[in-house]
Amino acid sequence: MRDTYLITKNELMVTMRNPFWIFHGLLQPIIYLVLFGPLLNGVAGTRGFPSTNAIQFFAPGLLIMNALFSAGFEGFTLQDKVDSGFLERLRVTPISRLSLALGFILQSSVTLLIQSAVLIVCSLFFGLKLEVWGTVALVFLILLIGVTMASISFSLALLTREGGILAGITNTFILPLLILSGVMLPISFGPPAIQMLARIDPLLYAVNASRALMAGAVGDPSVLAAFVVFAVLSVVCLGAFIRGMREAVA
Amino acid sequence: MATPIIRTEKLCKRFAGHKKEVVEAVRDLDLDVAKGEIFGLLGPNGAGKTTTMRMLCTLLLPSSGKATVTGFDLATEAGKIRRQIGYVGQKGGMEQVATGRENLMLHARLYGMSKADAARRIDALIARLNLTNFADRKTNTYSGGQRRIFDLASGVINAPELLFLDEPSTGLDPQSRARVWEEVRALHEQGTTIFLTTHYLEEADALCDRVAIVDAGRVVALGSPAELKKQIAGDIIALTYDGAPQVAAAMRLLDGNAGVLERHPLDASLQLYVDRGDEALPVVLRILGQGGAPPKAVHLTRPSLDDVFLKLTGRTLRESESVR
Repeated sequence: MRDTYLITKNELMVTMRNPFWIFHGLLQPIIYLVLFGPLLNGVAGTRGFPSTNAIQFFAPGLLIMNALFSAGFEGFTLQDKVDSGFLERLRVTPISRLSLALGFILQSSVTLLIQSAVLIVCSLFFGLKLEVWGTVALVFLILLIGVTMASISFSLALLTREGGILAGITNTFILPLLILSGVMLPISFGPPAIQMLARIDPLLYAVNASRALMAGAVGDPSVLAAFVVFAVLSVVCLGAFIRGMREAVA
Repeated sequence: MATPIIRTEKLCKRFAGHKKEVVEAVRDLDLDVAKGEIFGLLGPNGAGKTTTMRMLCTLLLPSSGKATVTGFDLATEAGKIRRQIGYVGQKGGMEQVATGRENLMLHARLYGMSKADAARRIDALIARLNLTNFADRKTNTYSGGQRRIFDLASGVINAPELLFLDEPSTGLDPQSRARVWEEVRALHEQGTTIFLTTHYLEEADALCDRVAIVDAGRVVALGSPAELKKQIAGDIIALTYDGAPQVAAAMRLLDGNAGVLERHPLDASLQLYVDRGDEALPVVLRILGQGGAPPKAVHLTRPSLDDVFLKLTGRTLRESESVR
């Protein structure tokens, strides 16, 4: 536990010192909020759109999207640590591989938490209305998604060990996951084939749940579905990452 | 000999290569390293030096074979080994945007030191290694030499009984290299056992009590630098010519003459192994002069570890480097 804390603290310090942190992590979702949100206002009135208010539709999903991007790119920072020999230096100390893995994961979770808070506050300025307890539950869901995505990205970083390959894999998967999740436009707009395909995207459940939660509908079936899906995924992926850290050749 | 601090028995590492081919990076390695010595693995890049070291440091699992390090079994007691050893990898491993002191603090704390103990230990190390001026700057502002000394400080932060150094002076300017050597010798005098890899002959020669010469995953020779060099009888006369034809002519003239034990042509030069260089040299020069093949330049040298490597593998270390 002490070792996990030491790693987390060190990683957070390093993250905060990187001037690109804000740009890389936060600017993108804010741009979406400022430029894409208003675009949706024009669609909000059309038939089939689930909400008459675009921000109410878009802001919850934007939080999920941020989790996907923020945590899904964590592997690149780990790869830098492999290249610089930093990870290797840590692995010859007596720290347990479990503590080491958890340290990196916790760092990504804290980062995600801060980003989510900033995004929620920004969305309030755009007229978002939220229910407190539903939002608290949503933050937990976001953290589960973050652990899942960060574990996958970290594991891939240890496996590929080459920036180009990791970038290729990440970009190939993140975009379809994002579009099929219905963050940008409702999946119900699409043809049946797309709607079928979207059902295997775990993020679809998360995005649906996020809208219900922000509206305070904690008992909505989509909420339970999302929590079950991501509780299972986060445990499996975290397990794989811890295993990878044990065997890593880094 | 007392219990060795490192003992390996038939240690092997195999990697999966291209197209189901298996690369044997380390083959059947048997080594004993005694407490208190500076032991060097010398060989060209790709000989398996780093792989061997990474196995002994608990960073890489052996494919087969056994090893004990600081008295603990490598396969089952890696955690205990990690407390006893220090390791400085080729890449160092400092966090770039943190200061040298912050890096050392993290490492010290991971060895279980309290904040106060760690701070005392770090202050002492920084003072002893003359690092005070850089300790509170970010490590990405350090020169190669400064970084290396910080890497060394990090490697001994837990006062290890056994220190691993992977290519400790590769890429350093001569001044920094001398500095690193000085610190390695100082650690040795304090009783630290040091296991290092190098592809610099001078480094092995200057630092090591014993050297294992490795090539293609195997140890091809083992002993003190002096013992190894003794394997090459006598002295070496190196003759320089304009081209290969003159070398061939000189080879013919010297056939069976002047106590020449071995002749090794290398491009436009010819190496003669002789019993006593001081006596053979005048004779050799007279024969070559009378035969119409006087050399452009002559060197009389004691054998180096490179000559040992040449004799054992048929290649010079430098050739092996450029092939890769």
